[in-house]
Amino acid sequence: MTFRDLINKALFIEILKGLALTLKVFLTKPVTIKYPHEKRPVSSGFRGRHAMVRDPQTGKELCVACMKCAMVCPSQCIYIKYTGAEGEPRELTKYEIEAYRCIYCGYCVEVCPMNAIVLTEHYEYASYKRQDNYFDKERLLKNWDEHIKSLKATSYSNKFWKPLGIDIGRLPANKRQAEVELKGLSKDDLSQNIKEA
Amino acid sequence: MEQVEITKGSDIGLHTQELTLNMGPQHPATHGVLRLFLELDGEVVKRCTPHVGYLHRGIEKLSESRAYPSVMPLTDRLDYISSMINNIGYCIAVERLMGIEPPPRAKYIRTLLAELTRISSHLLWLATHALDIGAMTVFLYCFREREQILGMFEDVIGARLTVSYPRIGGVRCDITDGFLEGVGRFIDEFPSRIVEYETLIDKNRIWLQRTKGIGVISGEEAVRWGLTGATLRGSGINYDVRKKMPYDAYDEIEFDVPLGQNGDVYDRYRCRMEEMRQSVRIIQQCIEKMPKGEVLSKDAPDLDMNPKGHKRLEPEMSLWSANVSFSNEYTTTPKGELYSAVEAPKGELGFYIVSDGTGRPYRMRVRSPSFVHAAAIPRLCQGHMIADVIAVIGTIDIVMGECDR
Ligand code: SF4
Ligand code: SF4
Repeated sequence: MTFRDLINKALFIEILKGLALTLKVFLTKPVTIKYPHEKRPVSSGFRGRHAMVRDPQTGKELCVACMKCAMVCPSQCIYIKYTGAEGEPRELTKYEIEAYRCIYCGYCVEVCPMNAIVLTEHYEYASYKRQDNYFDKERLLKNWDEHIKSLKATSYSNKFWKPLGIDIGRLPANKRQAEVELKGLSKDDLSQNIKEA
Repeated sequence: MEQVEITKGSDIGLHTQELTLNMGPQHPATHGVLRLFLELDGEVVKRCTPHVGYLHRGIEKLSESRAYPSVMPLTDRLDYISSMINNIGYCIAVERLMGIEPPPRAKYIRTLLAELTRISSHLLWLATHALDIGAMTVFLYCFREREQILGMFEDVIGARLTVSYPRIGGVRCDITDGFLEGVGRFIDEFPSRIVEYETLIDKNRIWLQRTKGIGVISGEEAVRWGLTGATLRGSGINYDVRKKMPYDAYDEIEFDVPLGQNGDVYDRYRCRMEEMRQSVRIIQQCIEKMPKGEVLSKDAPDLDMNPKGHKRLEPEMSLWSANVSFSNEYTTTPKGELYSAVEAPKGELGFYIVSDGTGRPYRMRVRSPSFVHAAAIPRLCQGHMIADVIAVIGTIDIVMGECDR
């Protein structure tokens, strides 16, 4: 042991250095966010609660019941039923997502050829009732209404509808221009539609 | 380190007996749900039996009923602290199986994000390891930096922990220049943060006494136990999958493999700290060399891959035609089996896939480092005191999600 080491040891130099550092950090601004009172900004494209896009023209969902999302879903938590004969447009009769089992991979959003389903940036949906997070079609459309109300924009596009840098030839026709106009209907019209539905 | 003399009860005529103790599965220092069945003589560990399986979710079995692309999000849940590297490991295994070569930009993006993941994983390791041993401050500082990395992941792919970012044949979406700048800023600042952690614990005498000479294993023995990663390199064996079997862009990038000498808890700690510095070096080179171009190979299967096989994108197609621009034949996955490994922060993460020619793996086996390392816990805490068991669990950086799968 050199003399220097001895001095270091006797005078607790290393400990003092550490304490100086903690004192320095103690005097800087804390990085903590006091969560329920303050919220951290969520980046766009965050994979949160599901919603089904409401077509601004018709006020109904865009889904054509192609079953792609149910097929690709890794946790197989999308349940779809439809009517309609072979070769005719299908009528969606049931569309349910069990959010408790969903792993938020975003695959359903990415494969949907109609841009009908989306994972919104909304992440606070804990609930006292299990039923609240078992989304049926109406609930999913309501999620969308809530989502666009918070947006304050005229159009919306999701990161997974048309992923950045993916060859456009890979995408089905509807996904090449991936944007929904939000202006089509006023809020009154929307509530009208909800009543009708 | 000299052995502490302990006065035993039996020496002074008292009746003594061995004590059995269950450490875990609900023990904060066992990093999840590891259960150690300890047989103690006083405070000295006589025998130690690890019990695993409390976090078993059957990921290997689940993957047999899903198409190759849909298995990828399941691999997030192996080692949930470094989900990006699990995804990459899986994607590389399937790419090698299908004979797909990802484009250079995708390779560099993956390398960059893999190293960010390594830093975040090592930060979490340092945080919890230090907390277990009693250094609370480091824990808080590490989480501060880790939060920045998770924020960057959120920008890229919309998830912080279970990212599912790569994709068979490339990555799911491109990164922006703004993201690269953000990473650059983080990387410029990060080395000074490492110095901060080291100021706190590197020469701290409590830290030294708790880590030096604990859990010693020689290089030769470590190899025989199948240890990999920093747990092996702490014993001075130069084995790093990134160097020995390069994948992605690692063969075009310069970095060193830090080695320890004594094979104790302290040397493994030093190895991981140096690895973080090397990761910074790799990221810097990735940012400098980042090529332009595609991020997904033309041969890459679609996400909604047919169980029969996948269709190839035709190279000549009109961009705006709504016609199907895929070839009409299915490219089937070759029959056969394959083992492919990547260097995860914990050690060598291997995927062994048996293919029967369909779009689903016939069998997928994950060689997870934590499982192998869990087997070595009894060897590492032989003859140590009960408090050292905590240091040993910390030093092998065990994650039960990966161990039990
Ligand atoms: S996000 Fe993933 S797990 Fe959730 S519903 Fe969509 S495909 Fe299924
Ligand atoms: S992929 Fe889209 S259009 Fe097809 S069933 Fe799912 S939500 Fe409907």
